[in-house]
Amino acid sequence: MRKILSVIKREYIQIVRTKGFIIGTILGPVLMAAFIVVPILVQFVSVDQQEKIGVVDLTDEIFLELDKKLDQKLKDGSRRYLLQEYKPVEDVEDQLEELNRKVLAKELTSYIFIPEDISEGGEAEYVSEHVSDFDGEGLDPEKIGQYMRPVSLTTKKVTKKGVERDTGGTFIISWFLVFILYMTVIFYGQIILRGVIEEKSSRVVEIVLSSLRPFQLMAGKILGIAAVGFTQYAIWGLFGIAATRYSKSIITRFFPAASAFDMPTIPSYIFIYFVVFFVCGYFLYGTIYAGIGSMVNNEKEAQQLVMPVTMFLVVPILLMMFVVRSPNSSLSVTLSLIPFFAPILMLLRICVLLPPFSQIAASILLLILTTILMIWISAKIYRVGILMYGKRPSFGEIIKWMRYG
Amino acid sequence: MNALEVENISKSFGDFYAVKNLSFKIPEGTIYSLLGPNGAGKTTTIRMVMNIIIPDDGQIKILDQKMDENMKRRIGYLPEERGLYPRMKVGELLLFLAELKGLQGQDARTKIDHWLERFDLTDWKFKKAEELSRGMQQKIQFIATVIHQPDLIILDEPFSGLDPVNTKLLKDIMLEMKKRGNTIIFSTHRMEQVEMISDNICLINKAEKVLEGNLNWIKQQYGKNTIVLDYVGDVSFIPSIPDVEKTDDYGKFMEIKLKEQSDPQDLLKKLVDKIRVNKFEVREPTLNAIFIDKVGEKNAQDTVSH
Repeated sequence: MRKILSVIKREYIQIVRTKGFIIGTILGPVLMAAFIVVPILVQFVSVDQQEKIGVVDLTDEIFLELDKKLDQKLKDGSRRYLLQEYKPVEDVEDQLEELNRKVLAKELTSYIFIPEDISEGGEAEYVSEHVSDFDGEGLDPEKIGQYMRPVSLTTKKVTKKGVERDTGGTFIISWFLVFILYMTVIFYGQIILRGVIEEKSSRVVEIVLSSLRPFQLMAGKILGIAAVGFTQYAIWGLFGIAATRYSKSIITRFFPAASAFDMPTIPSYIFIYFVVFFVCGYFLYGTIYAGIGSMVNNEKEAQQLVMPVTMFLVVPILLMMFVVRSPNSSLSVTLSLIPFFAPILMLLRICVLLPPFSQIAASILLLILTTILMIWISAKIYRVGILMYGKRPSFGEIIKWMRYG
Repeated sequence: MNALEVENISKSFGDFYAVKNLSFKIPEGTIYSLLGPNGAGKTTTIRMVMNIIIPDDGQIKILDQKMDENMKRRIGYLPEERGLYPRMKVGELLLFLAELKGLQGQDARTKIDHWLERFDLTDWKFKKAEELSRGMQQKIQFIATVIHQPDLIILDEPFSGLDPVNTKLLKDIMLEMKKRGNTIIFSTHRMEQVEMISDNICLINKAEKVLEGNLNWIKQQYGKNTIVLDYVGDVSFIPSIPDVEKTDDYGKFMEIKLKEQSDPQDLLKKLVDKIRVNKFEVREPTLNAIFIDKVGEKNAQDTVSH
């Protein structure tokens, strides 16, 4: 155990001291600050025109939430978005025709039609004269979509629990969290990969292995780099807490109108799940990267093998939009249970709409079991591969290695 | 007591036998060398002793015990494939490796300083390993091997890449350790080094033991029918002299093996007319000659070209 601690200590100190770590740790909060501050500034600096938006709400629930949500103020203190509710009438087609006319006559900037089945996957319509006009002047339809999704979902929850909760900004932050998880798992995975290759190509590994077992070295490396990750997260986390707490008061000092903007808050369970999925994802991918590192002679060879592994992380990112749109569809549920996708997709589902605990538990359990299996496989490959130089092994040879131990 | 006992170990990789039925014993407090051409199985043998490669068959006993993880503390191992963490400072790197061997804190630091001074590397303590020359790196690796004062020291090709000054330094330290009662086993294919310091040798060729035993005894077995000739002139006629069994020409001197029952005196008579003889010595064969004799001409050429 003491030997593993020595390895952990070495890994930790060597990485924390590098310029890359220091720059990354500082750059994180800067990006985070930009992420929080820029949207606020953009909203209050560039816009000085009121938009009148008509809303036809067949659910009779979303209008109120949407009205609350789109409460940004213009510089003179009046509402930026003036929402006008049109009670649904019998003939929907006629009503929409009427609204189209109003938009063309510029009585309305745009209107939104919310169908009854919005929470079961129905699509709301956003109609305006310049839908594709993304110059920052008009209300971005995508943004409405973003607002609407959590709104429609939370209203349901709210009625059940009888509590009101703000979830609008949460969505953006969730997106951000999922992305951080994706970036850091890849980033730290690459550090593990490079570390293993360095030990191998510098030929130091056999000297180290004269004192400890290959597994101890591999475990120490993965744990040491995990410690680096937690240090970085701790610094970012502290900054994030400070930022969400104080940035508003700082910003409103310069832009008083910003007081209308609610700082997004994130429920603490999301953070807990974030940590759980990061830890699982890190160990799952970290051990795979370590195993790959032990098979190859240099980073160029490694990249070919890493590609398919990285694809397992990229695929869920590509699927994100789909999962956000229908988080409870059977495809989303299945995808989020697949261990290689779970860290990203299950976390995303938790952020968007808390799935039943049984699903979360199942995905975590599957993830842990897969991770243990990968550790077992990687350790077998590692103990032989780390001492093999020359030609990259074929698949058959790797299977043979696994039988050696 | 024997520091190391190897009994009938074998290891094959697929169809290829790396080591076949190898046995040897190393008495405590001696220097033992493992000889053989490249690819003979020396490194595989050493890796099996170190429990890095698991033998297919056979038994290994170290210091009267079976090898296990706790034994690693009593062994110092310098592998053939060796290096350092390129971006670590020498002092930190040695401290890390010393910690892995169970040394701690001040004790480790004192020992590191002592060894750095011994190898004239004190000025390099705060330099990164990648800034060191290969020879210096090798000395650092050696320090890491012996810093915890192991009972058994295993060195795989310890002299490769060292200049004569450092070769001598390393040789002196090895003899010092022997005097302290440590056992040293090292592999090489350079015979001069073996003749200087080894008590016993084991010659391996193509995975199998060819010759083993006390170095002096082995040489005596070969008898005094070898002549070392220091000459000036054209020696191309010598191999065709009937008494001569084998020659090995080095340009300025030549090692000649006579046939049994031949008299060196007759050879000398034939030589003095044709070339200038500076030195004519009748002696035991050099280890090099024995090596070549045992391993065969073809194998030896591979070694020389290396």
